[in-house]
Amino acid sequence: MKRNPKRTFLTSGEIAKERTGLTVSADRLDSRPERMDELRREVTAVLAKYINTEDDNLKVSITFACDTIRKSGQIGKRGRSDVKTIQIK
Amino acid sequence: MSEVIVITSGKGGVGKTTSTANIGAGLARLNKKVVLVDTDIGLRNLDVVMGLENRIIYNLVDVVEGNCRIRQALIRDRHYSGLYLLPSAQTRDKSAVSPEQMVKLADTLKQTFDYIIMDCPAGIEQGFRNAIAAADRAIVVTTPEVSAIRDADRIIGLLESSGIRRIDLIINRIRMDMVRRGDMMSVEDVLDILSVNLIGAVPDEESVVIAANHGDPVLGSDTIAGRAYLNIARRILGEAVPLEHLEEHVSLFHRIAGMLGAK
Repeated sequence: MKRNPKRTFLTSGEIAKERTGLTVSADRLDSRPERMDELRREVTAVLAKYINTEDDNLKVSITFACDTIRKSGQIGKRGRSDVKTIQIK
Repeated sequence: MSEVIVITSGKGGVGKTTSTANIGAGLARLNKKVVLVDTDIGLRNLDVVMGLENRIIYNLVDVVEGNCRIRQALIRDRHYSGLYLLPSAQTRDKSAVSPEQMVKLADTLKQTFDYIIMDCPAGIEQGFRNAIAAADRAIVVTTPEVSAIRDADRIIGLLESSGIRRIDLIINRIRMDMVRRGDMMSVEDVLDILSVNLIGAVPDEESVVIAANHGDPVLGSDTIAGRAYLNIARRILGEAVPLEHLEEHVSLFHRIAGMLGAK
């Protein structure tokens, strides 16, 4: 869908595409638990290069959020909708 | 070499049965011997879409249970002589048939037919497992809507994990007027999300409803949907057919009106 840069709102089709993309990504992570374990291992390995991941008091999670999904369709309005949070550790 | 194709979607009502009937008609029109198998036990529909509802004597469950020979259950299509229907049972449920029995059935059908097309029911349970059991390849049907695409992605994942490598997509019920306005996801949008090969796109046309009312295929009529389905059949046979335009020539008046009101 081509966007006119002067347009300050999202069309319903653009909103749909964003929502669908995020929902599908979240579903894909849910439906493949082995991939989730891989994700956790790889993220923990990367973090270990910079911080002490052995600390049991440390909690790590990743939250997918979208800033541009708003009921009114206005872009740039402050606010987020969280789509999914994954517990890494 | 016979091929077993499953037409599936996850979501109900997106056009699996209509697509099955029209793809079957297309392949038969292109001189292949085709059998369409309705695997939706308990909620059969391929028979009415093909206008063959009055000709059912035996069905899929009868064949699998050995109550009749396959030949007795097959119904020849009214329009194309190379096209046959194996109808489903209306008064049983999906537990009446097992995936192993479907494989055995497909092996027998392969002796007679070039293409065996399994019309899969909605869902991911026993009916789905039965329909995909013998499939060499799959065609997933979706519409350009959030829930349909989500379900299609889930189905694609399930197909891949059951070993079906060849997966193609039909995007059905496209309304180009809505796409142009930005109120419907486009073909490209859907492909960006699903990342699977597109085998065809079918517009949302009155002709499809009217054909279904008659129990005729829309394929073969001088309509965009009809031509779209024929092109899908040609692509299944390996022909490289470019994607057709999905709307009629828009009149100059409407084009100007569209430009003036354009966002």
